[in-house]
Amino acid sequence: MKRTMIVLSIVIVLSMILGACVQPTAAPTAAPVVEPTAAPVVEPTAAPVVEPTVAPTEAPAPTEAPVAEVKAGDTVLPRKETLYFNGQQWGSVVGWNPYSSSNNNAMAIAAQDSARVIMFETPYIYNMMDGKQYPLLADGDLVWNDAGTEITFKIKAAAKWNDGTPVTADDVAYTWASHIKYNTQFGAAGKPYIENIEAVDPATVVVKAKLGDDGKPVNSMIVQAYLSSNYVIQKAWTETLEARIGAETEKFLTDPAEDVAYSGPYGKFFADDSKVVYIRNDNYWGQDASMWGKLPAPKYLAHIIYKDNAAGTTALQAGEVDVSQQFNSNVQDFWLKDNLPISTYLPEPPYGIGASLPTAFFNLAVPGLDQVAVRKAIALAVDYDTIIANAMTNQSATFTQVPRSLMNPTPGEQALYDHEAVKDLQWAGNDIEGAKKLLDDAGIVDTNGDGNREYNGKELAFQALCPNGWSDWQAAMEVVAAAGAKIGINITTNFPEWAVYQTVVTNWPLQEGYDIFMMWSDGAGPTQPWSRTQHLMHSMFAETTNNWNGNYGGYKNPAADALIDEIPTIDDPEKIKANYTELVKIYLTDVPSFTLMYRPQSFHTVNESVWTNFPHEGDGTDPAVPPLDLTDGYSIAGLYNLTLVNP
Amino acid sequence: MRNTLKSIFKDGKFRLGFGILVFLLLMIFLYPLFVPNPPLEIIGRGTFFPPGVYVSNLDSVSGAPIYSLTLADAEAKRLASKLSLEDRAEMKTYLLAVGVPEEQINIEDTAALLALWAEKYDPKLNVKGMIFAKLQYYRRLNDKLVSLLDSEGLILARETDGVLEKTGQVLPLDYVNIGEVSSVRVLPLGTDNFGRDVLTELVKATGVSLQIGLIAGSIATAIGLVLGLISGYVGGWLDDLIMFFTNLLIVIPSLIILILISYSISQSERGPTTIAIVIGLTSWVWTTKAVRAQVISLRNRDHVNLSKLSGHSTASIILRDILPYIASYVVMAFILQISSAILAEASLSILGLGPKTTLVPTLGLMMNWAMIYQAHILGKWWAYFPVIVVIALITFSMNLINTSLDQIFNPALRE
Repeated sequence: MKRTMIVLSIVIVLSMILGACVQPTAAPTAAPVVEPTAAPVVEPTAAPVVEPTVAPTEAPAPTEAPVAEVKAGDTVLPRKETLYFNGQQWGSVVGWNPYSSSNNNAMAIAAQDSARVIMFETPYIYNMMDGKQYPLLADGDLVWNDAGTEITFKIKAAAKWNDGTPVTADDVAYTWASHIKYNTQFGAAGKPYIENIEAVDPATVVVKAKLGDDGKPVNSMIVQAYLSSNYVIQKAWTETLEARIGAETEKFLTDPAEDVAYSGPYGKFFADDSKVVYIRNDNYWGQDASMWGKLPAPKYLAHIIYKDNAAGTTALQAGEVDVSQQFNSNVQDFWLKDNLPISTYLPEPPYGIGASLPTAFFNLAVPGLDQVAVRKAIALAVDYDTIIANAMTNQSATFTQVPRSLMNPTPGEQALYDHEAVKDLQWAGNDIEGAKKLLDDAGIVDTNGDGNREYNGKELAFQALCPNGWSDWQAAMEVVAAAGAKIGINITTNFPEWAVYQTVVTNWPLQEGYDIFMMWSDGAGPTQPWSRTQHLMHSMFAETTNNWNGNYGGYKNPAADALIDEIPTIDDPEKIKANYTELVKIYLTDVPSFTLMYRPQSFHTVNESVWTNFPHEGDGTDPAVPPLDLTDGYSIAGLYNLTLVNP
Repeated sequence: MRNTLKSIFKDGKFRLGFGILVFLLLMIFLYPLFVPNPPLEIIGRGTFFPPGVYVSNLDSVSGAPIYSLTLADAEAKRLASKLSLEDRAEMKTYLLAVGVPEEQINIEDTAALLALWAEKYDPKLNVKGMIFAKLQYYRRLNDKLVSLLDSEGLILARETDGVLEKTGQVLPLDYVNIGEVSSVRVLPLGTDNFGRDVLTELVKATGVSLQIGLIAGSIATAIGLVLGLISGYVGGWLDDLIMFFTNLLIVIPSLIILILISYSISQSERGPTTIAIVIGLTSWVWTTKAVRAQVISLRNRDHVNLSKLSGHSTASIILRDILPYIASYVVMAFILQISSAILAEASLSILGLGPKTTLVPTLGLMMNWAMIYQAHILGKWWAYFPVIVVIALITFSMNLINTSLDQIFNPALRE
């Protein structure tokens, strides 16, 4: 007994110490964009197929392989030919089907504002640094006809699929037709605004906007954005797919599409549950002088599938990751303390370019939160500087640097509203006295002397929620809760699992207890800040189900709706600015939701152990390459600038 | 009784275990008297400030009395802190890269090195073959080197309408006495990811965790004792029934039941007390088994049979004739229950299933947040190691007390 007790106590002490060394269980922090459909079960057909050799079209040019040839599935890729990523791919790849939005194939398929174009390509690519769309598959700038009703563009003569056939206008038109026919999410999103996309001749595409009663496009911004956010998919392959699925149309989206044709510089090399590797197509059309004039530098793009952020961080520190798209807390320690060759886009805080606005929404159906005074008091009392310094470890601009509005911190958006006109409405936070006064003036006071205020005889008590494991958001919610305590409103935090959380917040009516909750709002894109404003304030999203757009709290204001609806139809920049200024005023007065921090579109931290010449502020590129991990939109240009540190 | 206590306190192991426990309890009660700060107050703007004495920079230059000290090594230390040997070597690398002949560079001679640096360093120059991170390093180094050899110190100035007006000067010989600086905060264990004082939080968390242990231990022991007594003494179908449930629960690892129950209670309902009750309700099975076994061996003793013959009620027999004989065992089981409940809380919290965060800190929650913010990877030991030490100390002391009590009460082990 005595012996066993001693042994037992030693075992317990040891197990505690060992327990402390265990990796955290829930680590992926809030990613700026999380696909709702991410992480489905891997279908059997999509199971990692280890190809014995590389498919002929993907095979490296034989002249380039004097030494042992790398085969798909090899655990070791030549380090000096491989660019490693982290923070994009969580879980194994499900498929390669560009029509589907549930491939869980983050590196290859992400049709978004800055579409990921390593494998599939869009006619234009968006550059968030200057807000312009640059031609990729298209030849020449994006221009509307004089009536402003349609866009005509040509396909570059050099543009080819990986099977060597040319990319044609037919491919563009057929892609759109298929989106409509099979009612994909991209088709559904574009249908209200795009009448049709047609091929005039093999090289010319006409995009016709849907017109309103006044003969003007319903929304020209969305039509234009379609061309830089949706892939062109090969007609021949689509027909193969249609033949394969036959009458079972639902398989159109679930087909894993291992045989898909692509026009981009990289294709599938290998994928299993531990990593995904893309190999350069050395016959890529973009090496033509009409596009890049050369091939991108890395031969392989590889993404090890890390268990969590902590594992990813360790790999970045060790130089096993070159480009990191994940939240690394205290990123400056990498170079200040550890002397590692790691850097971010900006050398000083906020280290990246803030593009999206993680936002706390109020559930306006909850008694108490239907009162503007309560909402504004909570928003006033929150200590945003602490959120930014502690939760975001200074990887966000502060609200003194970039006063709150509906705009992200990029200069283009900031110029869209009159700063002086809304100055009195903007708050920088931690204004406890102001918040208390607001509540006192509204008659919301503590009547029973328990230190907590009552409204209509009921104690003000709310829950603040965000998904479990999204550490920076969780910490932000803790700060919101602390603010409540200071002004006599009881706020407690609650962190449900993401699977539960996402179903609740996107489906009205919200479950009881979802009082104050965090969601993201739109980042940078060709339709911004209009889309973000619409998503935050427009009543068309209020009290709806399956709502992934925004306005999760159920805010309705006809005046705001009218201003938002009007903007796409205005040509006069001054009038647009006036509308935005008015909207910012309404937003800051009614406080249906409030921004907690600014967040980069993508985190962009690079390790220069192997590769160098990554984009950074003032790197001399013209147009400037955005810090979007060398994969998204115009940032793909960065892949062509990379060089080896020790060639 | 007195003799028993005496013999208990004579035991070295018991004294050690008891001493640790008393020390922890004293900390819990005395520390807040001296440091009355709220344990969850966020004081740090930034994460994981290292342990140390924090002196207000403003107060030390503008409020505290100035003393002049001529310390021989002051300048050398100042230089070393701004310009280490590695920095000097790196400066040489840069100077070589921009084409300065090696014989002109002497990294020992600070003045010459700095002069050469000032002449050759160009922040706008993109040195060929030098990575961006390195160029940034030189830019930061260059910023540090400004006025490094300045013997004039720093000038304090106030800005009014864009015009600077000198208000004071900080000389190299100026010193302040920390005791005379108006705002000083000692953070013996630094701050955590929220910018909270770790030691203050830790003391409070230790108290809360002990409370959780106490509540959970009492519940588990109470249930285990009652069921064990009934099952052992009454026997028959009641015994079968109780043993049926006990055996059922025994084959399922209690941590799994614990996780399932905690998960099903929404986090907003999960206070420390709720967690304690849940832990208590899932950890009584072994106590039941052991108590039952002891009771069965006592059931047919002569004094019990005598009581029965005298017509005492079952309840009275259990309380008067059986309970005293197993009391020592129950006390020991209780102590073990407390320590395992504290461990259970820690394991639950690490999984994110512990009490909700805002109200009070617990040892498990502190570890949970330290891990979420990667303290173990970033080397911020003060955020998690002291917590581990406290948990280890609590369980260690309780186990020591337990073994020494066992030695005294259990005749088979008595030396």
